[in-house]
Amino acid sequence: MAEDLYSVLGVAKTAKPEAITKAYRKLAKKLHPDLNPGDKAAEEKFKKVAAAYGIVGDEEKRGRYDRGEIDASGQETPQQRYYREYAGGEEGARYRSTAGFEDIGAFSDLFGDLFGERGGARGGAGGRRFSMRGQDAHYRLDVDFLDAVNGTKTRLTLPDGGTLDVTIPPGVTDGQVLRLKGKGNPGMGEGGPGDALIEIGVKPHPVFKREGGDIVVEVPITFDEAVLGGKVEVPTITGRVFATVPPGSNTGQTLRLKGRGIKSKSGTGDQLVKLSVVLPERIDEDLKSFAERWREAHRYDPRRKLKEQA
Amino acid sequence: MLSERDIVARVRHLTVTRLRVWVAQGWIKPADKAAQGFSDADLARAALISNLEDELGFAEEDVPVLLNLIDQIHGLRSELMGLLDALEDLPPDIRATVRMRITSRREGGER
Repeated sequence: MAEDLYSVLGVAKTAKPEAITKAYRKLAKKLHPDLNPGDKAAEEKFKKVAAAYGIVGDEEKRGRYDRGEIDASGQETPQQRYYREYAGGEEGARYRSTAGFEDIGAFSDLFGDLFGERGGARGGAGGRRFSMRGQDAHYRLDVDFLDAVNGTKTRLTLPDGGTLDVTIPPGVTDGQVLRLKGKGNPGMGEGGPGDALIEIGVKPHPVFKREGGDIVVEVPITFDEAVLGGKVEVPTITGRVFATVPPGSNTGQTLRLKGRGIKSKSGTGDQLVKLSVVLPERIDEDLKSFAERWREAHRYDPRRKLKEQA
Repeated sequence: MLSERDIVARVRHLTVTRLRVWVAQGWIKPADKAAQGFSDADLARAALISNLEDELGFAEEDVPVLLNLIDQIHGLRSELMGLLDALEDLPPDIRATVRMRITSRREGGER
């Protein structure tokens, strides 16, 4: 079942020694394991080619093979340990070169960060000596609306029982991630610890809503406040203030309280007070007769626009 | 540790003179420089140089070119393995992101 050695080399049985050597070198240059590190198939082919050449490339052995005195496998040269078996290990580090790809900037930057002065040993007998920055730790922290708006200091209890003091900056938004440098997982070797990344969840508030840097509050006013105007008490994120409702205010109208919004690095927002006129819960006779009288003389059509448009 | 003689005895076609030339050229860097002591890796490298010159028929002046390329490939392979090792330690979602980026880069690179 042994393969014909001449066909392994792709030469005729009658080929001259020089032609055999030429054919062998052509194949070997392509298949030599040290020119194909990591390619198993090439190695297998190379072994066959080298074994064939070991016999038909040698005048005496070729004669014996041709006469049938030895078969194609009648060859036991000691196995060569190829350089590539060492090249990746600690021993190979003396020879390995990274000079050729220093131009791949991001690549070397990456390795600079990741490995520092790594010895370059992989898989070898000695352990790896490399440094790696610790992983970032991810946490989630829910804060009250007013704490998010005004900023606060709070303490986060970690799953492992430790704690982390977190300063919430004023104006933090829902979903924003705070980064605490060096508060993540410890690194390896010379690598520093990772960061703690804290995703902030802001709980909704029953009264205050947020629109960018502004705070929006809906404030009900009475019928007479709407008609005559007046001062009404309004909650803000820093306490109660009085706002002036101009005479003839209506539902949907908005008052702007300058500088009563969120104070953050990017500036100070306003508070928007959305007015909504609310009739008394019970309509008494007085109001009823007033309305009837008023309607006689002052009929008006607030739905005129509506009719025009739809 | 192997001596000069050990190396010469184990590599076909090799003589002490040739080995010394290779060391002088820097193609082989004895593991123990002071005592001219060689490691198994040095032996394998000597066998490689002999292969290149004697078996494959490369000219002597081609050898440093080949060694330089081979050393660069191993340097590159080693760094790549280190990178892959580091990636292996990352959480699966980050690995998936990296894989995605690599794939999209590859596709983006096609003409």
